[in-house]
Amino acid sequence: MSIFLPIAEMPVNWLIILALSGFVGIVSGMTGVGGGFILTPFLIFLGVPAPVAVATQASQITATSASSLWAHARRNSVDWRMGALLTAGGVFGAAIGITVFQQTLQAGQIDILISLFYVVFLGVIGSLMLFEATRALRGGAAAARPMPFNRPARTIAHRLPLQMRFPRSGLYISVLPPLAIGVGIGALAAIMGVGGAFVLIPAMIYLLRMPTNVVVGTSTFQILCVMTTVTLMQATLNRSVDLVLAAILILGGVIGAQVGARWGARLPAERIRAALALLMLGSGLKLFWDLVRTPQEMYVLGGQ
Amino acid sequence: MRRAALALALWLCAAGAAAQAPAQPDLPAAVTDAEISVSSDYRGSRLTVFGVNPDRRGRGDIVVVVRGPNEPAVLRRKRRVFGLWVNGAAVRFEEAPSFFTVISARPLRDIARPQAISELGLDPAAVARLEGGTPSDATARDYRQALARLRRAAGLYSEHPRGLQLHGSGLYSTKVVLPANAPIGDYFAEVYLFRDGRLVSSRRSDISIARIGAERLVHEAATRAPFFYGVFAVALALAAGWAAAMAFRRA
Repeated sequence: MSIFLPIAEMPVNWLIILALSGFVGIVSGMTGVGGGFILTPFLIFLGVPAPVAVATQASQITATSASSLWAHARRNSVDWRMGALLTAGGVFGAAIGITVFQQTLQAGQIDILISLFYVVFLGVIGSLMLFEATRALRGGAAAARPMPFNRPARTIAHRLPLQMRFPRSGLYISVLPPLAIGVGIGALAAIMGVGGAFVLIPAMIYLLRMPTNVVVGTSTFQILCVMTTVTLMQATLNRSVDLVLAAILILGGVIGAQVGARWGARLPAERIRAALALLMLGSGLKLFWDLVRTPQEMYVLGGQ
Repeated sequence: MRRAALALALWLCAAGAAAQAPAQPDLPAAVTDAEISVSSDYRGSRLTVFGVNPDRRGRGDIVVVVRGPNEPAVLRRKRRVFGLWVNGAAVRFEEAPSFFTVISARPLRDIARPQAISELGLDPAAVARLEGGTPSDATARDYRQALARLRRAAGLYSEHPRGLQLHGSGLYSTKVVLPANAPIGDYFAEVYLFRDGRLVSSRRSDISIARIGAERLVHEAATRAPFFYGVFAVALALAAGWAAAMAFRRA
């Protein structure tokens, strides 16, 4: 059951990794929350070096987003023009993120940087999810309906220069906010090995005022393009993509996501979201605790 | 079967040793499994170092050392910044053994004089050569000891002062465990014969740990053609995603 990972240079039990990625795939298929947020901390807890975990995770997200983009494209729920704009920003952001990643790796602080990002995002997103899920559970069926979108009619996107028409979304807005959002998501993707849908989707709804039926498909398109770029850059610059680990993660992830999408409709979504939120908060707390408690061993090996 | 083969090998060594002239003591020693292949099921390996003490009256002590390739190492001491423990400034070692184990039948300090121990590099913490100075938070000695402690905790450095098995007639053997995290590269086993605290003779045999098959292919692709490796990783991901979409659409 043990397989030696050529880049991480360690043996792992591939059944555990497969089960883990399958489980995370099911959860993300059911809830729509990307798997990277949950899977990367678990890989780090299993002893996979953080840079390898983050870089390899990027290739897994490429696979899962490719699989779901197919379905979205067939349903015509992708705003390709907006997606291309977000991708342009995303690729630029990914380049910035990779540079930061590489510099931090060489300075021997990459584990700290990755942990810090995860602590912040797992904490914020886990709390928000838990808050929303418990409110829905307490309020019963009436409150379980999606929150009414209290969106401003015109946002900053309507006032900035360089306006452009987006026929699929029915928008006429400036190209600057989508580009800026893309840059931010791209940098997150490179440093954390996550797709960033959790930040991207609210930004598209509230800031760009895109219709909800194209939001998921368009974000999937952007994530696919950015993660492809991130995988290429991680492999070329940091040589930290482990193909064997990637193959196991991809296998578990794509099958799990499809199974999860099927089950999702039949299962109590709010409970699953609450459980997922607790899992995220738990992982975040563990990473935070490792950062603040006085270490027993004051020295670390590695870096350059 | 293995035991029988080992016994035969030991006997052959003993016979060979007996034929040697005692004036220039040769040190018969050999390593089983000197070529270790790392394939996808690699979980570390074990090898046996064996030989015979050529002294007819059985005087002297045998010490077996297995060393991994010397490599530069970087060590950092953690420090607290705004309540978080971050890694401090880097302290570089020009070279330090990446793997080191020393095996003897009784404690090393009873066998060899301190001078011999340091000259032969039998203490990995003393061998590690620092490059430049150390930050003010700790001394060079602290960093050296920390390096040895971390590697000991990872199973890369070890001392076995009672690990050498003596089988009579000067025959000795010992098992060496190379954990899966031991770096891949060229190792060597050294056998020393000490008498009255001084080195009498020594012998060195090579051990190689090398990747083979898919393991080798993946690693070489990742280091020699990183861009194409990345393209392959992306192609694999896209193909898997597409295949999953197809498979589940039909189902």
